[in-house]
Amino acid sequence: MGFDNVMLTLDETVTDFFGQWDVYTTLIAGCLVTFFVYQVTSSRDPDAHPMLLARQAQASPVRQEGQSAVFRSHAAPHGMPLNSGLNVKDPGDSKWSRGRDGDLRDVWRRVVSGGIDREGKETGEKGRLLTVLGSEQIIDHDITDINRQIALIGQHIKGNGGENIAIYLPNSIEFLATLFACAFYDLTAILVPYDQDQPVESIISLLGQSKADTVVAAVGSFPFDVIKKSYPALKQLIWVVDEGSKHMDWNEVPTGTGGPVNVSTWQEIVQDAPATGLELPSVDRKAELKNILAFWPSGELVEYTHANIIAGIAGQLSSLPAAHRINHSDLFLPVDSLSTMYPLVLTLSALYSNAPVALNSVAGTSPDLVLATQGISPTIVVASPGTLTKVLSETAAKMSSPVYKIVHWFQTRSLIQQGVMPASTMFSRPFDSLRPIIGSTPGKLRLIYVSEQIGAKSTPLTAKNLSDLRIYTGARIIYSLASSKVAGAVTQTGVYDYRVDENSEQNAHFGAPVSSVEFFLKDTKDHKTTDESSRGEIYARGPAVVGGEASLGVNGRIAEDSTLVLL
Amino acid sequence: MDYVENRMAQEAAKPTPSPEVQTIATPLNLVLLSLFLYILYRSFRPSPAPKLAPPPPAIVFRTFTPPDLLPFNGMNNQPVYLAVRGKVFDVSAGRNFYGPGGPYENFAGRDATRGLACGSFDEDMLTKDLQGPLDKLEGLGDEELEALRGWEERFEEKYLVVGRLVAVGDEDKEVEK
Repeated sequence: MGFDNVMLTLDETVTDFFGQWDVYTTLIAGCLVTFFVYQVTSSRDPDAHPMLLARQAQASPVRQEGQSAVFRSHAAPHGMPLNSGLNVKDPGDSKWSRGRDGDLRDVWRRVVSGGIDREGKETGEKGRLLTVLGSEQIIDHDITDINRQIALIGQHIKGNGGENIAIYLPNSIEFLATLFACAFYDLTAILVPYDQDQPVESIISLLGQSKADTVVAAVGSFPFDVIKKSYPALKQLIWVVDEGSKHMDWNEVPTGTGGPVNVSTWQEIVQDAPATGLELPSVDRKAELKNILAFWPSGELVEYTHANIIAGIAGQLSSLPAAHRINHSDLFLPVDSLSTMYPLVLTLSALYSNAPVALNSVAGTSPDLVLATQGISPTIVVASPGTLTKVLSETAAKMSSPVYKIVHWFQTRSLIQQGVMPASTMFSRPFDSLRPIIGSTPGKLRLIYVSEQIGAKSTPLTAKNLSDLRIYTGARIIYSLASSKVAGAVTQTGVYDYRVDENSEQNAHFGAPVSSVEFFLKDTKDHKTTDESSRGEIYARGPAVVGGEASLGVNGRIAEDSTLVLL
Repeated sequence: MDYVENRMAQEAAKPTPSPEVQTIATPLNLVLLSLFLYILYRSFRPSPAPKLAPPPPAIVFRTFTPPDLLPFNGMNNQPVYLAVRGKVFDVSAGRNFYGPGGPYENFAGRDATRGLACGSFDEDMLTKDLQGPLDKLEGLGDEELEALRGWEERFEEKYLVVGRLVAVGDEDKEVEK
């Protein structure tokens, strides 16, 4: 009977308890079930497995005394040679042959011939070259016509005895055409940073340092009369009149062969020749190619060989996973000046991947991103940290309402906790009009490349800044470390790395090395490598490094996830 | 059945609660509410990113002399090293062969060049005088040198080079490339 009493009491308790069920209970239970079901159905798999992000570079098992281990990317593990080239196969090579490294001429040949699939057959996808003039006019250039222009310019310069060609142009078709002409006709190209506010003396000093004897310059930016007197080594000058000013009468432009300097305009050279039947010199594997000189933003003059630049391109091409590779359906826009090596390497990679490339002369040092992307909808953009810092501060000022802060918190959580790009939900859509308008069609931008240039005056970005930028622009951001001694990037963050760790207010990490570069840290007076931590001065080695091995001039350390952090 | 009938009658006899009574704070509601809040807290609490254990620290490349190399024969928890033509290899992975009790244990901690060339594990293949100069491989014919090259290549593929072996007194000599 005692047991029956216990059962009775239990029965009565349970019935009383659930007997209190009423409207509010139904409400709360309903909310609970809805929330649980929503969490389960809306959970998304992270873009990259968290364990892959937990160790991003491979350390060598042995290290020398006074140095740290050598770090490489997982795509070029220790024991394998670093990625040094494009595996260019010439017609007539067997399908299974290794292919040669290639040089800049092969990049242009790929643009002309179109994409080539794994079997070696042409896919017929040809890239396009676009010039953007403001928001109304976009010029789609004919690749065969550009081919012809390259041949004509190259022959003209070489015919007049030019050897060191300085290119003083904003981002434009003529810039790329002159660069390729120098590659095809064995001339040394010198990339001079284009800045319309530069004093004449600095232009003269840049020309003198690089020993230029030919200049291809934009009309209006190059005070020819002054320079003619102070720089006697100048032998040839080619004016480039930009599309927007063609309707103006440039009769005042001094031309002619009288006097020590041979002056002509691009249009003259290109129009006075037969329209078709002009071919570029064919594949010549044994030619000794001249180097390309470029000025780093700090003023340093660096000489890159074609092998350095090709290794830089190869590193960039292999750094993106297959789902995000640059391909024919993208539109690439460099918002940073092409005379800096990092945007140039990325532009050449885009050309090699047969992606349409748009060029905008607004681009330069830290232009406004919205202004530079007017008129087209780029999917991939290269920008400088100054441009992105401007975008960040403007957008943060606009989106400061408390309601948005909650939405932002949820979106940051989606990035960091779930490892996915935030989806556009009904809560975030009202704020879409406040986001920066990049391109004429919103939502197309998918990838932004930023680089921290060692030695140049630039604003480093923190991990929190990068995360906020991902939310504001809706694009993935790749943050890389670029140095004057390395063509392309030294290290680069992965596409799927959205993490913000505890010290999010300090400068962000720079990821793992690209597959054409390996680096190690040498002990300095203040920073030494021990068994627990690696610190020291960064030295880079590989086919993309000028001279094979070079010190980058900054100190760094390796973080827990094997990424590089500057000290 | 009796029991069930009795209970049903008991419950039916209870008075219905009047509608003005406040029902929101019933124990059931409180329990469900706290369950809901707990689930909210668990799903919105930030979780730390998973971390991998740090990789083992890199071995420092060092210059060995024969007396320095001797302790590395697998005894006392030391790794097993052996030297082939001036390169010191870490053969701890092949402890079954080169470690204590293995068939080639004579090579551990010593210069194994002559032994590998001649294909013999005898004591007289090893240099006796550890303080003296290294074995200059005199008296080895072409086939033996060929065999030595083959062994060296196998070692380079399988094992890690952790140092170089020089004679006592030659530690400061520059590495010949």
